[in-house]
Amino acid sequence: MSELDHGREPGRGIVRAPQSLVAGLGLVALALFGLWAGSDLPQGTLRAMGPGLMPRWLSIGVGICGLALVAVSFVRDGEPLAGAAWRGPVVVTLAILAFAVTIRPFSLGPVATPGLGLIVAGPLAVIVGGYATPEARLRELLILALFLTAGCMLLFGDLLNLPIPIFPVALVDALSGTLSSRTLLRLAAGLLCVGGLALLVLGRGQRREGVDVATHSLTT
Amino acid sequence: MSDLVSNLGLGFSIALSLQNLALCFLGCLVGTLIGVLPGVGPIATIAMLLPITFGLDPVGALIMLAGIYYGAQYGGSTTAILVNIPGEATSVITTLDGHQMARQGRAGIALGIAAIGSFCAGTVATMLIAAIGAPLTRLALVFGPAEYFALMVMGLVFAVVLARGSILKAVAMILVGILLATVGTDLETGQERLTFGFAFLTDGIDFSVLAMGLFGIAEILRNLDHTETRDVVRQHIGRLLPGREDLRQAAGPILRGTAIGSMLGILPGNGAVLGPFAAYTVEKRIARDPSRFGRGAIEGVAGPESANNAGAQTSFIPLLTLGIPPNAVMALMVGAMTIHGIVPGPGVMTKNPNLFWGMIASMWLGNLMLLVINLPLVGVWVRLLKVPYRLMFPAILMFCAIGIYSINALPTDVMLIGVFGLIGYVLIKFGFEPAPLLLGFVLGKLMEEYLRRALTLSRGDAMVFLERPICAGLFAISIIMLVAALMPSLRRSRDDVFSEA
Repeated sequence: MSELDHGREPGRGIVRAPQSLVAGLGLVALALFGLWAGSDLPQGTLRAMGPGLMPRWLSIGVGICGLALVAVSFVRDGEPLAGAAWRGPVVVTLAILAFAVTIRPFSLGPVATPGLGLIVAGPLAVIVGGYATPEARLRELLILALFLTAGCMLLFGDLLNLPIPIFPVALVDALSGTLSSRTLLRLAAGLLCVGGLALLVLGRGQRREGVDVATHSLTT
Repeated sequence: MSDLVSNLGLGFSIALSLQNLALCFLGCLVGTLIGVLPGVGPIATIAMLLPITFGLDPVGALIMLAGIYYGAQYGGSTTAILVNIPGEATSVITTLDGHQMARQGRAGIALGIAAIGSFCAGTVATMLIAAIGAPLTRLALVFGPAEYFALMVMGLVFAVVLARGSILKAVAMILVGILLATVGTDLETGQERLTFGFAFLTDGIDFSVLAMGLFGIAEILRNLDHTETRDVVRQHIGRLLPGREDLRQAAGPILRGTAIGSMLGILPGNGAVLGPFAAYTVEKRIARDPSRFGRGAIEGVAGPESANNAGAQTSFIPLLTLGIPPNAVMALMVGAMTIHGIVPGPGVMTKNPNLFWGMIASMWLGNLMLLVINLPLVGVWVRLLKVPYRLMFPAILMFCAIGIYSINALPTDVMLIGVFGLIGYVLIKFGFEPAPLLLGFVLGKLMEEYLRRALTLSRGDAMVFLERPICAGLFAISIIMLVAALMPSLRRSRDDVFSEA
């Protein structure tokens, strides 16, 4: 509510609700985009509606809402533009992208990525994504990534049998015939857990400086 | 009446099978587990856990999903009471008195009364579904496409009226939602629209992708923005079972909350959200000493919590009888049912009586389980609440990515949740609520279909919507609601109800 009071401060320009203004302009832009994108679709008649009828009228509706918001922003006081942080959205998007291109072979034009499976994509997403906050600490994220990946491999791959690639394509090819995929999965999950535990135990030694942060984390 | 008994008997015979009982239990437990985590509401929880139910038979899958749903709902209240962070919109009001009670060392009693209230409300709501399910289904069968269209319009109007903040923005969000629903191949003509030649858009935007982006990823981004101050209760949880005095005080609010919540929950357009607010307002109005509210009044926990749970359950009614999802969670249920080859609507009850009655019976069992598993597990939940967000969100992120990938095995789906996450973040920044968009998206496809069918049947005469009495009545209600919501005096009282928090 404090933002509303802020909006009533004297000495602001003709735009009395900047947030509504930008939101309205955005909607108008979306409406124009929708009209353009649907312009090549046949409209049909009411009796036999064409595929373009709904998109067009919806776009017009969105546009009207946008114009109304723009109009309102000059008349009624509203909230100022909210500041946005960049770190979170950028890093989280990167993490998602990293997962998407490594989980299985993915090609975009001339560039192709090898399929690395969950065993690589999972930790990658956790570790990259973890840096979305400035409080990130590598060792913590590593432990988390190892345990989570092991857990997900067992849950999704072993228990639920979902068709999710677990291992790099190359590895599966190389090992085909020697080990059953299920044994391999359990083995790998076990190794990840051991790795996680090792990190956890090794970290104990350096806990001195960590104590302060650990108690702090209860409140943040 | 004997019908009802025999139907419920059938339901319980299915729900009590060992497998379904186990699935219900698992759903409740996992739902609570994830629902307790602050920043993960029921929508994100269900979207994330949807793939887990793929391998099950339809009855088991839906029983488990329903369990996840009210488990997550219940977990949200635990977070509200112990940490003062509402897990979701409907538990906002619980933070007021619930957290105050917790600070006074009565956290256990607050949790206990929330569980007992939820259970009572769940029992009543289950019976209500069983009782009015059949008549409503019969009503649904006389509905033509025009009536369905009118009903959905009414649902969307309710969603606008009940949304918080600017009405104009809510309308815009609904229209954008319907517009997004038109992306993909047109069912009637087979023509691709708004796909820009992208192959992954040919089948349209997947609902779970949109939901997970807007409610899973965008929520992470929003939470990252402000370093939350999590105020986990340090005091003892105290004893859990309320004393006789507490129960006496809470009995009235529980009953009133249940009644209010059940009625609002049936409304299309997410009426359930309003339940806790309305219940709180009522309790405060009729209280002998209203100043106690906001300082740990047990009525302020009992009423809204009962209304919350009652509304959550009765919102299954429009879905199961009419096939119209009244809110985003029910829309996810539609997705789940479709995956299992069940078309939600009046046909469910006649074609899949096992599913219909089994699910209803399992709801009651699930509520009982919540009561039993939650009270002893409070200690575990408290420990879970102490996990810092910097460790929690990467895990949520990974679960979202794996979950969405396992639905269609498409890397583009994973990228799309990122895109919709960013869109959702921008929307929140500009004061738009993503919930109406999702509802518009869900109803959009159905609406277009019914509109087309109605107009084809009437040979292109738009008057068909006004000539049929039920249809005209539904439109009249929608228009009255919308006009009323736009009137300044009513608008103020609407804002009051929401800003009571």
